[in-house]
Amino acid sequence: MTTTALNTTTPVVAFDQVSKSYGSVRAVDGLTLALHPGETVALLGPNGAGKSTTLDLLLGLKQPDSGTVGLFGTDPRSAIVAGRVGAMLQSGGLMDEVTVAELVRLACDLHPRPYKVADVLSRAGVTQIADRKVDKLSGGQAQRVRFALATAGDSDLIVLDEPTTGMDVTTRQAFWATMREQAAQGRTVLFATHYLEEADAIADRVLVLHRGRLLADGTAAEIKAKAGVRRISFDLADGTVDESVLRDLPFLTTLAVSGRTVRIQSSDADATVHALYGLGLYPLGLEVTGLGLEQAFVAITTAEEARTS
Amino acid sequence: MNGLIRLELTRALRNRKFLFFSVLYPSLLFLLIAGSADSTSKVDGTGLTLPTYMMVSMASFGALTAVLMGNSERIAKERESGWVRQLRLTTLPGRGYVLAKTASAAVVSLPSIVIVFAVAAVVKDVRLDAWQWLALTGAIWAGSLVFAALGVALGYLASGDAVRPITMITYFGLSILGGLWMPTTSFPSWLQDIAKWVPTHAYAALGQAIEQSQAPHAKDLVVLVVSFALFTGGAAWLYRKDTLKA
Repeated sequence: MTTTALNTTTPVVAFDQVSKSYGSVRAVDGLTLALHPGETVALLGPNGAGKSTTLDLLLGLKQPDSGTVGLFGTDPRSAIVAGRVGAMLQSGGLMDEVTVAELVRLACDLHPRPYKVADVLSRAGVTQIADRKVDKLSGGQAQRVRFALATAGDSDLIVLDEPTTGMDVTTRQAFWATMREQAAQGRTVLFATHYLEEADAIADRVLVLHRGRLLADGTAAEIKAKAGVRRISFDLADGTVDESVLRDLPFLTTLAVSGRTVRIQSSDADATVHALYGLGLYPLGLEVTGLGLEQAFVAITTAEEARTS
Repeated sequence: MNGLIRLELTRALRNRKFLFFSVLYPSLLFLLIAGSADSTSKVDGTGLTLPTYMMVSMASFGALTAVLMGNSERIAKERESGWVRQLRLTTLPGRGYVLAKTASAAVVSLPSIVIVFAVAAVVKDVRLDAWQWLALTGAIWAGSLVFAALGVALGYLASGDAVRPITMITYFGLSILGGLWMPTTSFPSWLQDIAKWVPTHAYAALGQAIEQSQAPHAKDLVVLVVSFALFTGGAAWLYRKDTLKA
């Protein structure tokens, strides 16, 4: 182990004002962040938020247009050559016409501090399919083989891009159990996902990415509160709509009244509805719907933009 | 690096179709072309019998098949599937992938050369001095690197569906124009003028010079060296472009 590993002041990952555009599209826009040793971090965002580009920049597969990306105090390629990073990409293909075991053996060969092939296979849950040809695997099996490749040696950082894509519920749970083991051994784990529940269950820190910008950075609970906005809509009998009264409802984030119809967004819908009845009002056709993650992001963005302008 | 070469090789040796076309097919083609030829008629202007002449052509053809056909298509496919990206997340140096492909192709091309020689010696009584056999093997084997570089360049030039026709056209063009299937002396003179500058022609001429116990022609060496520089340069340039894009 090198001295930088013991030096906790060196961030595992350091992005400084990193931007990357494709034509006129800004995939990553002035991103600054630091990950510290031992953290399990979820990179959360809807499709097209810039998650994959961020991971590509982090791993040195893409070069930023501006800003700097550091891994363990050095550049991404040097960190990879030193065997400090294990990564599993969504776009990472596998070699055809070889068996799972042969491919994992290759990954072990290429790692400066490899584990035993049998151990890597069993930890990734692919021992049963070790002799199967790689091109004959199901989507979920291929994901587990990718995971095996990413964990073939003693790396300090594990990077996973939407790792559970194509897995059924059971394998998904087994997968995260394995992932927690990795984290428990003191590794830094960074994974991209668009499932808030996954981020909530696994990560101790959640980064919310939207349009290439870091929207929120906090514990899962904090993010959940922010993204937990619900939409409440109901009608009121004529003459009973008094906007100023509604505006004072607790946990209300937005209010829109058109005619008899009231639309509210609330960060705690239960409390808001309870207070609504407490006012002595009689809402008709009451509906409470959750915002999808994507809409929740929009809600957070709108709130952020309103605050800054 | 060695692990990857080993695995590439394992895979190549498992692929029966590839082995047939690169290892056995050149020998079969040799028997087909030279099989009925008597051992006294000479190929115009060479002083070599048809079997002796065609032995070098077919050995060169076999080596060409082994290094060109497998790699270009596979590289294009693996760039598309993302395997090349995945390898970039390992300690393997950037060029390691291409080198491993070339090395494994070189291992397959050696038996294809040797088998053509063995068939020619046993069936058609081709007789050469020991140094000539060794020099031939070495020259044809080393010369195949020129076309290995071309295969890599093609793999990075085109993707998926486009790479196969491009490879096929290149492969047949090089084989026929270079005189690997029939002596270029049977071509009309305008075609002979073109063929003289085709790298596969220079490649086979290298072997035929050894059979004639002559020093290789300077022009052939220049054609091969320039081709090698062009193909390697092209492959390196395309490789870098691909890496930035990925």
